[in-house]
Amino acid sequence: MSTAGAGTIDHHLDPTTSTGIPNKKLLMWTFLASDCMFFGCLISTHLIYRLHPPPGVPSGRDVFNIELTSFSTFILLMSSLMMALAVNAIQKGNLKSLRFSLLTTIFFGSIFLGCQVYEFTHFVSEKHMTITNSIFGSTFFTLTGTHGMHVFVGVIWLTSMLIYSFTGRLTEKDAIDVEMMGLYWHFVDIVWIVIFTAVYLLEYI
Amino acid sequence: MNPTAESQHEHALEKSKFDLYVRVAMLLAVITGMEIITVYLPFPYALLFGTLVIASAVKFLFVIFIFMHLRWDRPFCTIMFFIGLILAGGTMWALLKLFSASNSLPLSSS
Repeated sequence: MSTAGAGTIDHHLDPTTSTGIPNKKLLMWTFLASDCMFFGCLISTHLIYRLHPPPGVPSGRDVFNIELTSFSTFILLMSSLMMALAVNAIQKGNLKSLRFSLLTTIFFGSIFLGCQVYEFTHFVSEKHMTITNSIFGSTFFTLTGTHGMHVFVGVIWLTSMLIYSFTGRLTEKDAIDVEMMGLYWHFVDIVWIVIFTAVYLLEYI
Repeated sequence: MNPTAESQHEHALEKSKFDLYVRVAMLLAVITGMEIITVYLPFPYALLFGTLVIASAVKFLFVIFIFMHLRWDRPFCTIMFFIGLILAGGTMWALLKLFSASNSLPLSSS
């Protein structure tokens, strides 16, 4: 990591690598690019089977609860804000602010997961849509479940980073580790931005 | 720049970044609210569809360029991510074109 001036660290540049980008950051961007393709395939599979529903299968509009999904979307967007503030805090070496921002992000992420668990339970028990009884259910649960697993992994990662911040070994020099986690968390957010439009809102027009 | 002036400059820079994050988050929330209202408007499908796609793309770009710092990072990060994004978009387009054809209808479809 290079020094931009006396006492400051340039978090966007690493002159020790041939690209000038920290290796961890490059690795994360490469992973996220590959994950784009993964989610792209899942989303298009859902959109294709949405176009050709077998007879007797309820449409998305019949089962979705747009109020709950909108609330989840808002919560995830706010968690992204808190994650950005967490990265900003560690880049300034402000551990107190980092802990508060991480805790809030974990809280918002957990609310999102809770909403998803409630939604899945509601679909199965009330709407009788399971992963096996309709192609719409199969593609829907696979897509949103995979996204939910990504959020779950993110919450575990955030929690471990929060615990690590209390050991005294997390300093401004380790900001790249928090930034990697932030990139992952924001990616989960942008995937949901696409899912919210392509899977939920399209059913209503 | 003397140390005091540099410190003041850094403080102003950090404050402006904080303000930017908050403003972007508020904008994203407003766009989401507009998207939800949009689906209930009595306009043609193409117009609503186009509006939703544009709104979604704007939110996507704000998150990757501001929250994910692509605006301040080396352009190679943007190139790397957009390679994945273009491949994903191309795959989606090809799949939707292929499987929207009538001869690819599932046998159980009405």
